[in-house]
Amino acid sequence: DALLGCHRSYRSRPTHGIGKFKYLLPKEVPKKRKEKVQMKEISAGTEYQYGDVNIQMTSYDLCLVEHFAQYVHRLCNRLSIRVNESYAMPTKTNEVLFLEERGSKMQLDAVLTTHQRVVQIRGLSSTFAPILLEIIQSNQPEGVHLLVKQHTEADFKSRLKSRPELEELLAQMS
Amino acid sequence: PCRAQPKKKKKVDVKKEQAQKERMKKKIKKLEKAAPELIPIEDFITPLKYSESNRVRSLPALSPEESEKRVLLLKKWCLFKQKQDEAEKKAIKALVESQQEALKELRLESEELYEAAIRRDEGLFPFERDGPSYTPPLPGYDPPEGKCIDITKVYTQ
Repeated sequence: DALLGCHRSYRSRPTHGIGKFKYLLPKEVPKKRKEKVQMKEISAGTEYQYGDVNIQMTSYDLCLVEHFAQYVHRLCNRLSIRVNESYAMPTKTNEVLFLEERGSKMQLDAVLTTHQRVVQIRGLSSTFAPILLEIIQSNQPEGVHLLVKQHTEADFKSRLKSRPELEELLAQMS
Repeated sequence: PCRAQPKKKKKVDVKKEQAQKERMKKKIKKLEKAAPELIPIEDFITPLKYSESNRVRSLPALSPEESEKRVLLLKKWCLFKQKQDEAEKKAIKALVESQQEALKELRLESEELYEAAIRRDEGLFPFERDGPSYTPPLPGYDPPEGKCIDITKVYTQ
């Protein structure tokens, strides 16, 4: 009993660390905690540089919009413009109904889905901005609507889910 | 008898109100603790019907001439695209260079104008442009009456 129960191996002896085996096992990646979605700081930009600029592309055709967004992203990488984020906005679905020629019933024509992709850039210099716009415009595919504007908090909040209970309670409090 | 009633009302009301307010504050704190979530994007979720089916397409075998032709076509396309890309890069370089030259000349002319030109343009954003269309709208077209209903799914936390 005494022989089995004794685990001591002195640090000076050659038997030090004889029972270790954890260093042989593959390293376990620590469990990733869910990162809280927080708004990154919106930079205002100096007099010679624009701050956070959003390039939003909207279209009914998913592939075109996706490929165009990838093209714009790669273009910015090539021109060494810093790209903060490149994300997709939630899709909007529209049901188009039209009135039949004879009759008062509305007939279903089509169900259209509108897709939107956003590429956010920072540090665009004022002399280069018109050139970049020119390039993007000349490569704009059919049916893709382009919108370039500055990033605001409202833009970020439109990506988040609405919380009606919280808003109700806040309204009641004030 | 006349005194006791108003006193009770005041005490009970104030206490009830305070208790209510505290409860609401606690609820608000609890809801605010949960971080806001992003709306899930339906584009990136493949619908189940495409992953469950067992239909597999069987393509016909290609003859060697056909595959040769395809490979050569691919090479020609690669070359064409490369030329297109290089032309674009050249055009960008030319634009930037000519802009820099123009700014240099302007600086030699007058410092004030140069400073004004370097500054950022506030009227540039927001910038909107519709893409070109395959078929522009016909001039004398009378569309049938109808309406659009928005049926996007609303996610709440």
